[in-house]
Amino acid sequence: MSLGGKLALVTGSGRGIGRAIALKLASQGADIIVNFFRHRDSAEQTAKDIEALGVKAEVIRANVGDPAKIDEMFDMIGNKFGRLDIFINNAASGVGRPVMDIDVKAWEWTMDINARALLLCAQRVVKLMEGRGGKIVSISSLGSRFVLPNYTIVGVSKAALEALTRYLAIELAPLDICVNAVAASAVETEALKFYFKEGLVKDNRQVTPAGRMVIPEDVANIVAFLCSEEAFMIRGQTIVVDGGTSVGLFALAGK
Amino acid sequence: MTVEEQIRDIIAKITRVDKSIITRESTFKEIKADSLDIVQALVAVEETFGIEIPDEEAQKFQNFGDFVSYVENRVVQEEKV
Repeated sequence: MSLGGKLALVTGSGRGIGRAIALKLASQGADIIVNFFRHRDSAEQTAKDIEALGVKAEVIRANVGDPAKIDEMFDMIGNKFGRLDIFINNAASGVGRPVMDIDVKAWEWTMDINARALLLCAQRVVKLMEGRGGKIVSISSLGSRFVLPNYTIVGVSKAALEALTRYLAIELAPLDICVNAVAASAVETEALKFYFKEGLVKDNRQVTPAGRMVIPEDVANIVAFLCSEEAFMIRGQTIVVDGGTSVGLFALAGK
Repeated sequence: MTVEEQIRDIIAKITRVDKSIITRESTFKEIKADSLDIVQALVAVEETFGIEIPDEEAQKFQNFGDFVSYVENRVVQEEKV
Protein backbone atom coordinates (compact mmCIF):
# COMPACT_ATOMS: atom_id res chain seq x y z
CA MET A 1 0.00 0.00 0.00
CA SER A 2 1.47 3.33 -0.98
CA LEU A 3 0.03 6.77 -0.46
CA GLY A 4 2.95 8.60 -2.08
CA GLY A 5 1.91 12.00 -3.42
CA LYS A 6 -1.39 11.98 -1.56
CA LEU A 7 -2.46 14.81 0.76
CA ALA A 8 -4.38 13.89 3.92
CA LEU A 9 -6.14 16.01 6.53
CA VAL A 10 -6.51 14.34 9.92
CA THR A 11 -8.66 16.27 12.39
CA GLY A 12 -7.61 16.08 16.02
CA SER A 13 -4.26 14.56 15.18
CA GLY A 14 -2.09 16.10 17.89
CA ARG A 15 -2.67 13.16 20.17
CA GLY A 16 -4.10 9.70 20.55
CA ILE A 17 -5.77 7.89 17.68
CA GLY A 18 -5.53 10.89 15.34
CA ARG A 19 -1.78 11.13 15.86
CA ALA A 20 -1.34 7.40 15.18
CA ILE A 21 -3.40 7.71 11.98
CA ALA A 22 -1.39 10.74 10.84
CA LEU A 23 1.89 8.89 11.40
CA LYS A 24 0.63 5.73 9.68
CA LEU A 25 -0.51 7.61 6.58
CA ALA A 26 2.77 9.56 6.59
CA SER A 27 4.74 6.31 6.82
CA GLN A 28 3.02 5.28 3.60
CA GLY A 29 4.10 8.46 1.87
CA ALA A 30 1.19 10.86 2.33
CA ASP A 31 1.74 14.51 3.20
CA ILE A 32 -0.32 15.38 6.27
CA ILE A 33 -2.30 18.36 7.47
CA VAL A 34 -2.43 18.09 11.26
CA ASN A 35 -5.53 19.73 12.69
CA PHE A 36 -5.81 20.47 16.40
CA PHE A 37 -7.93 22.59 18.69
CA ARG A 38 -6.66 22.63 22.29
CA HIS A 39 -3.11 21.25 22.25
CA ARG A 40 -0.74 23.11 19.95
CA ASP A 41 2.43 21.58 21.43
CA SER A 42 1.20 18.06 20.74
CA ALA A 43 0.18 18.98 17.19
CA GLU A 44 3.58 20.49 16.49
CA GLN A 45 5.25 17.38 17.87
CA THR A 46 3.11 15.21 15.57
CA ALA A 47 4.12 17.42 12.63
CA LYS A 48 7.81 17.05 13.53
CA ASP A 49 7.44 13.27 13.75
CA ILE A 50 5.68 13.25 10.36
CA GLU A 51 8.46 15.27 8.76
CA ALA A 52 11.01 12.86 10.21
CA LEU A 53 9.35 10.21 8.00
CA GLY A 54 10.34 12.25 4.94
CA VAL A 55 6.98 13.77 4.03
CA LYS A 56 5.49 17.21 4.53
CA ALA A 57 3.36 18.33 7.47
CA GLU A 58 1.22 21.40 8.00
CA VAL A 59 -0.43 22.36 11.30
CA ILE A 60 -3.86 24.04 11.33
CA ARG A 61 -5.82 25.06 14.41
CA ALA A 62 -9.60 24.82 14.12
CA ASN A 63 -12.52 23.92 16.32
CA VAL A 64 -14.53 21.61 14.07
CA GLY A 65 -17.57 22.30 16.25
CA ASP A 66 -17.66 25.82 14.78
CA PRO A 67 -18.85 26.09 11.16
CA ALA A 68 -16.92 29.35 10.63
CA LYS A 69 -13.68 27.70 11.77
CA ILE A 70 -14.31 24.74 9.44
CA ASP A 71 -14.69 27.20 6.58
CA GLU A 72 -11.49 29.01 7.56
CA MET A 73 -9.60 25.70 7.67
CA PHE A 74 -10.78 24.61 4.23
CA ASP A 75 -10.25 28.07 2.74
CA MET A 76 -6.67 27.82 3.90
CA ILE A 77 -6.25 24.28 2.50
CA GLY A 78 -7.89 25.32 -0.77
CA ASN A 79 -5.65 28.35 -1.16
CA LYS A 80 -2.44 26.60 -0.21
CA PHE A 81 -2.91 23.15 -1.76
CA GLY A 82 -6.01 23.34 -3.98
CA ARG A 83 -6.71 19.65 -3.41
CA LEU A 84 -7.18 16.91 -0.83
CA ASP A 85 -7.01 13.13 -1.32
CA ILE A 86 -7.79 11.79 2.14
CA PHE A 87 -9.96 13.22 4.91
CA ILE A 88 -9.90 11.59 8.33
CA ASN A 89 -12.72 12.82 10.55
CA ASN A 90 -11.21 11.96 13.92
CA ALA A 91 -11.62 14.99 16.21
CA ALA A 92 -14.13 14.27 18.96
CA SER A 93 -15.29 15.62 22.26
CA GLY A 94 -17.96 14.76 24.74
CA VAL A 95 -19.52 15.26 28.09
CA GLY A 96 -19.81 12.17 30.29
CA ARG A 97 -23.15 12.40 32.06
CA PRO A 98 -26.13 10.22 32.95
CA VAL A 99 -29.15 10.69 30.67
CA MET A 100 -31.05 12.79 33.19
CA ASP A 101 -28.19 15.29 33.52
CA ILE A 102 -27.82 16.02 29.81
CA ASP A 103 -28.70 19.58 28.89
CA VAL A 104 -28.98 21.33 25.53
CA LYS A 105 -25.51 22.84 25.82
CA ALA A 106 -23.79 19.49 26.39
CA TRP A 107 -25.85 17.87 23.62
CA GLU A 108 -25.04 20.56 21.07
CA TRP A 109 -21.35 20.72 21.98
CA THR A 110 -20.95 16.98 21.47
CA MET A 111 -23.16 16.62 18.40
CA ASP A 112 -21.58 19.63 16.70
CA ILE A 113 -18.05 18.28 17.09
CA ASN A 114 -18.69 14.57 16.66
CA ALA A 115 -21.44 14.43 14.05
CA ARG A 116 -22.15 17.77 12.37
CA ALA A 117 -18.44 18.31 11.67
CA LEU A 118 -18.43 15.29 9.35
CA LEU A 119 -21.27 16.79 7.32
CA LEU A 120 -19.79 20.28 7.10
CA CYS A 121 -16.24 19.06 6.45
CA ALA A 122 -17.38 16.52 3.84
CA GLN A 123 -19.22 19.27 1.95
CA ARG A 124 -15.95 21.21 1.72
CA VAL A 125 -13.78 18.11 1.17
CA VAL A 126 -15.80 17.05 -1.87
CA LYS A 127 -14.88 20.27 -3.66
CA LEU A 128 -11.19 19.56 -3.05
CA MET A 129 -11.58 15.95 -4.28
CA GLU A 130 -13.65 16.82 -7.35
CA GLY A 131 -12.31 15.16 -10.48
CA ARG A 132 -9.70 13.16 -8.57
CA GLY A 133 -11.71 11.01 -6.13
CA GLY A 134 -10.69 10.41 -2.57
CA LYS A 135 -11.22 8.70 0.76
CA ILE A 136 -13.16 9.83 3.80
CA VAL A 137 -12.81 7.83 7.01
CA SER A 138 -14.42 8.73 10.33
CA ILE A 139 -13.56 7.43 13.76
CA SER A 140 -16.53 6.09 15.67
CA SER A 141 -16.86 4.09 18.83
CA LEU A 142 -18.61 0.97 20.10
CA GLY A 143 -20.78 3.35 22.12
CA SER A 144 -22.78 3.96 18.92
CA ARG A 145 -24.43 0.57 19.28
CA PHE A 146 -23.72 -0.57 22.84
CA VAL A 147 -24.59 1.21 26.06
CA LEU A 148 -21.65 2.44 28.13
CA PRO A 149 -22.13 4.26 31.45
CA ASN A 150 -22.38 8.07 31.13
CA TYR A 151 -21.62 7.78 27.42
CA THR A 152 -25.07 8.70 26.09
CA ILE A 153 -24.34 11.85 24.13
CA VAL A 154 -21.12 10.55 22.65
CA GLY A 155 -22.78 7.25 21.75
CA VAL A 156 -25.67 9.02 20.05
CA SER A 157 -23.30 11.36 18.20
CA LYS A 158 -21.30 8.37 16.96
CA ALA A 159 -24.50 6.64 15.80
CA ALA A 160 -25.29 9.78 13.78
CA LEU A 161 -21.74 9.75 12.43
CA GLU A 162 -22.11 6.14 11.27
CA ALA A 163 -25.49 6.83 9.64
CA LEU A 164 -24.06 9.88 7.88
CA THR A 165 -21.17 7.73 6.70
CA ARG A 166 -23.65 5.47 4.90
CA TYR A 167 -25.45 8.37 3.23
CA LEU A 168 -22.22 10.05 2.18
CA ALA A 169 -20.88 6.76 0.81
CA ILE A 170 -23.82 6.42 -1.57
CA GLU A 171 -24.14 10.05 -2.60
CA LEU A 172 -20.40 10.49 -3.13
CA ALA A 173 -19.81 7.13 -4.86
CA PRO A 174 -20.29 8.62 -8.36
CA LEU A 175 -17.44 11.04 -7.53
CA ASP A 176 -15.11 8.12 -6.77
CA ILE A 177 -15.03 9.07 -3.10
CA CYS A 178 -15.00 6.10 -0.71
CA VAL A 179 -16.58 6.84 2.67
CA ASN A 180 -16.27 4.55 5.68
CA ALA A 181 -15.83 4.56 9.44
CA VAL A 182 -13.86 2.64 12.04
CA ALA A 183 -15.36 1.98 15.46
CA ALA A 184 -13.05 1.01 18.28
CA SER A 185 -13.67 -0.13 21.81
CA ALA A 186 -11.75 1.64 24.58
CA VAL A 187 -8.37 2.64 23.15
CA GLU A 188 -5.33 3.36 25.31
CA THR A 189 -5.03 7.16 24.93
CA GLU A 190 -4.96 10.34 26.99
CA ALA A 191 -8.71 10.63 26.43
CA LEU A 192 -9.22 7.23 28.01
CA LYS A 193 -7.33 8.39 31.09
CA PHE A 194 -9.98 11.11 31.33
CA TYR A 195 -12.72 8.51 31.16
CA PHE A 196 -10.96 6.34 33.73
CA LYS A 197 -11.12 9.36 36.02
CA GLU A 198 -14.79 9.79 35.18
CA GLY A 199 -15.47 6.13 36.00
CA LEU A 200 -16.62 5.30 32.49
CA VAL A 201 -14.19 2.58 31.61
CA LYS A 202 -12.60 0.15 33.99
CA ASP A 203 -9.67 -1.93 32.86
CA ASN A 204 -11.33 -3.79 30.00
CA ARG A 205 -8.56 -6.24 29.20
CA GLN A 206 -10.54 -9.02 30.84
CA VAL A 207 -13.44 -8.46 28.44
CA THR A 208 -11.26 -8.42 25.34
CA PRO A 209 -10.86 -11.90 23.83
CA ALA A 210 -7.72 -10.73 22.00
CA GLY A 211 -6.12 -10.37 25.44
CA ARG A 212 -5.02 -6.76 25.41
CA MET A 213 -6.51 -3.33 25.03
CA VAL A 214 -6.86 -1.73 21.62
CA ILE A 215 -4.01 0.68 20.93
CA PRO A 216 -4.15 3.69 18.55
CA GLU A 217 -2.02 1.85 15.98
CA ASP A 218 -4.67 -0.91 15.71
CA VAL A 219 -7.16 1.73 14.57
CA ALA A 220 -4.61 3.47 12.35
CA ASN A 221 -3.85 0.23 10.48
CA ILE A 222 -7.49 -0.21 9.46
CA VAL A 223 -7.86 3.47 8.56
CA ALA A 224 -4.79 3.19 6.31
CA PHE A 225 -6.28 0.11 4.64
CA LEU A 226 -9.55 1.97 4.03
CA CYS A 227 -7.50 4.75 2.41
CA SER A 228 -5.86 2.28 0.03
CA GLU A 229 -7.09 1.17 -3.39
CA GLU A 230 -7.40 -2.39 -2.02
CA ALA A 231 -10.43 -1.16 -0.05
CA PHE A 232 -12.13 0.37 -3.10
CA MET A 233 -15.21 -1.84 -2.85
CA ILE A 234 -15.84 -1.16 0.86
CA ARG A 235 -18.43 1.62 1.04
CA GLY A 236 -20.45 3.08 3.88
CA GLN A 237 -19.24 0.52 6.39
CA THR A 238 -18.22 0.87 10.01
CA ILE A 239 -15.38 -1.57 10.68
CA VAL A 240 -15.16 -2.64 14.32
CA VAL A 241 -11.72 -2.84 15.94
CA ASP A 242 -12.28 -4.22 19.42
CA GLY A 243 -10.28 -7.42 19.84
CA GLY A 244 -13.55 -9.39 19.80
CA THR A 245 -15.17 -7.61 22.74
CA SER A 246 -18.51 -6.89 21.07
CA VAL A 247 -19.11 -10.33 19.57
CA GLY A 248 -17.91 -12.01 22.74
CA LEU A 249 -20.26 -10.19 25.11
CA PHE A 250 -22.48 -13.17 25.87
CA ALA A 251 -19.59 -15.59 26.17
CA LEU A 252 -17.90 -13.21 28.59
CA ALA A 253 -21.05 -12.49 30.60
CA GLY A 254 -20.71 -15.82 32.42
CA LYS A 255 -17.09 -15.21 33.44
CA MET B 1 -13.99 47.57 29.09
CA THR B 2 -11.18 46.01 31.09
CA VAL B 3 -9.97 42.46 30.52
CA GLU B 4 -11.66 41.48 33.79
CA GLU B 5 -15.00 42.95 32.76
CA GLN B 6 -14.88 41.26 29.37
CA ILE B 7 -14.10 37.84 30.86
CA ARG B 8 -16.78 38.31 33.52
CA ASP B 9 -19.33 39.03 30.76
CA ILE B 10 -18.24 35.97 28.79
CA ILE B 11 -18.52 33.64 31.79
CA ALA B 12 -21.83 35.10 32.97
CA LYS B 13 -23.27 34.62 29.50
CA ILE B 14 -22.14 30.96 29.39
CA THR B 15 -23.14 29.98 32.93
CA ARG B 16 -26.17 32.29 33.08
CA VAL B 17 -25.26 33.54 36.55
CA ASP B 18 -25.65 37.18 37.59
CA LYS B 19 -22.26 38.73 36.87
CA SER B 20 -22.35 40.65 40.13
CA ILE B 21 -21.65 37.39 42.02
CA ILE B 22 -18.44 36.78 40.04
CA THR B 23 -15.50 38.15 42.02
CA ARG B 24 -11.80 37.46 41.57
CA GLU B 25 -12.00 35.03 44.49
CA SER B 26 -14.95 33.09 43.04
CA THR B 27 -14.18 29.46 42.28
CA PHE B 28 -15.60 27.94 39.11
CA LYS B 29 -17.89 25.83 41.27
CA GLU B 30 -19.27 28.96 42.91
CA ILE B 31 -19.93 30.46 39.48
CA LYS B 32 -21.66 27.16 38.57
CA ALA B 33 -19.20 26.56 35.72
CA ASP B 34 -18.78 22.88 34.85
CA SER B 35 -15.92 21.50 32.72
CA LEU B 36 -17.78 22.21 29.47
CA ASP B 37 -18.54 25.79 30.56
CA ILE B 38 -14.86 26.30 31.29
CA VAL B 39 -13.81 25.01 27.86
CA GLN B 40 -16.41 27.23 26.20
CA ALA B 41 -15.20 30.20 28.25
CA LEU B 42 -11.60 29.47 27.24
CA VAL B 43 -12.57 29.35 23.58
CA ALA B 44 -14.55 32.60 23.80
CA VAL B 45 -11.75 34.35 25.67
CA GLU B 46 -9.17 33.09 23.16
CA GLU B 47 -11.22 34.51 20.30
CA THR B 48 -11.88 37.80 22.06
CA PHE B 49 -8.23 38.45 22.88
CA GLY B 50 -6.57 36.64 19.97
CA ILE B 51 -4.52 34.36 22.22
CA GLU B 52 -4.24 30.62 22.81
CA ILE B 53 -4.55 29.29 26.35
CA PRO B 54 -3.00 25.81 26.64
CA ASP B 55 -5.08 23.36 28.68
CA GLU B 56 -2.06 22.77 30.92
CA GLU B 57 -2.24 26.45 31.94
CA ALA B 58 -6.02 26.51 32.24
CA GLN B 59 -5.94 23.54 34.61
CA LYS B 60 -3.96 25.69 37.08
CA PHE B 61 -6.75 28.26 37.41
CA GLN B 62 -8.21 27.94 40.91
CA ASN B 63 -10.65 30.79 40.59
CA PHE B 64 -11.91 33.57 38.32
CA GLY B 65 -9.04 35.84 39.41
CA ASP B 66 -6.41 33.33 38.23
CA PHE B 67 -8.10 33.18 34.83
CA VAL B 68 -8.22 36.99 34.57
CA SER B 69 -4.60 37.45 35.72
CA TYR B 70 -3.37 34.91 33.19
CA VAL B 71 -5.20 36.65 30.34
CA GLU B 72 -4.09 40.12 31.54
CA ASN B 73 -0.45 38.98 31.49
CA ARG B 74 -0.82 37.41 28.07
CA VAL B 75 -2.51 40.48 26.61
CA VAL B 76 0.31 42.70 27.94
CA GLN B 77 2.89 40.31 26.43
CA GLU B 78 1.12 40.33 23.06
CA GLU B 79 1.07 44.14 23.07
CA LYS B 80 4.82 44.22 23.71
CA VAL B 81 5.53 41.86 20.80
